[in-house]
Amino acid sequence: MNMNDTLIQSSIKVAKNAITTETEVQTNWWMWLAIAEFGILAFLILKKQFKLKDTDKQRFKNESLKDDIDFGNIINSSFNSIQLYDELKVKCHPDRFPTDIEKNLIAEKIFQEISKNKNNVKRLLDLKEEAIQKLNINF
Amino acid sequence: MLDNTWNNILGWFNDRSERAKVVRSFNESARIAFVSGIAPTLLKASISKGESSYKHQFSNWLNTGFRIQAFTGRVLKKEELIHIGKVILDDSNLVRRLIVLGWDTLEIHGDEGPYGCRWQLKDYIPLPKFNEHE
Repeated sequence: MNMNDTLIQSSIKVAKNAITTETEVQTNWWMWLAIAEFGILAFLILKKQFKLKDTDKQRFKNESLKDDIDFGNIINSSFNSIQLYDELKVKCHPDRFPTDIEKNLIAEKIFQEISKNKNNVKRLLDLKEEAIQKLNINF
Repeated sequence: MLDNTWNNILGWFNDRSERAKVVRSFNESARIAFVSGIAPTLLKASISKGESSYKHQFSNWLNTGFRIQAFTGRVLKKEELIHIGKVILDDSNLVRRLIVLGWDTLEIHGDEGPYGCRWQLKDYIPLPKFNEHE
């Protein structure tokens, strides 16, 4: 009788332990799931709420940051634009075409562009190409 | 108020990243130009203290100078320093970008000594007036 009692008590103890452990594991799992859900919801709400305000100033800033900047051309122009400009302003001067009215007009237009872009090598090279094609100038 | 603070924090981090990107791109292009022989002098961009009297509506609190220094190669003459400054100021996209990222002073320096030239950036781009309370 005593032996049976001890056996039953031990069985109950083992069963109790097993049930308690399983429940604890389940509770932890659900808790973490709830925390994750809360985190996702909070993130979605705050993201919408705290989006960068679209003011005039911000818009101006965004517009200014959109354009690409050609640093290679800037550095090239820093050292090589003067020489190219000096060459072009002499060769493309409208006074070199006094008799041909059409060429004189083209030269005047190109000369104005050259003066406007005297610190931009890329643009000056385009104008040089245009002068070669339209004014038949040999550089 | 919380909204505004959050905007400022986001804006500050964005600006820091963009500022670093501009300096890095300039230095990378200058290095390539020097190595390939396009530029006789190595230029290096950095962020300096700047001139406080040149402030505008986009200016940062600190470090508002965009400094370009001629490093190795030959020593640049004053006219050459002025020319580099003019090339940069003629590029309206670059000037606008420098302004919106908080720079207000452009400095071009030689290799040695305090000798250099300085320009006020806001003189080269018309800045619209914004309603700060919007």
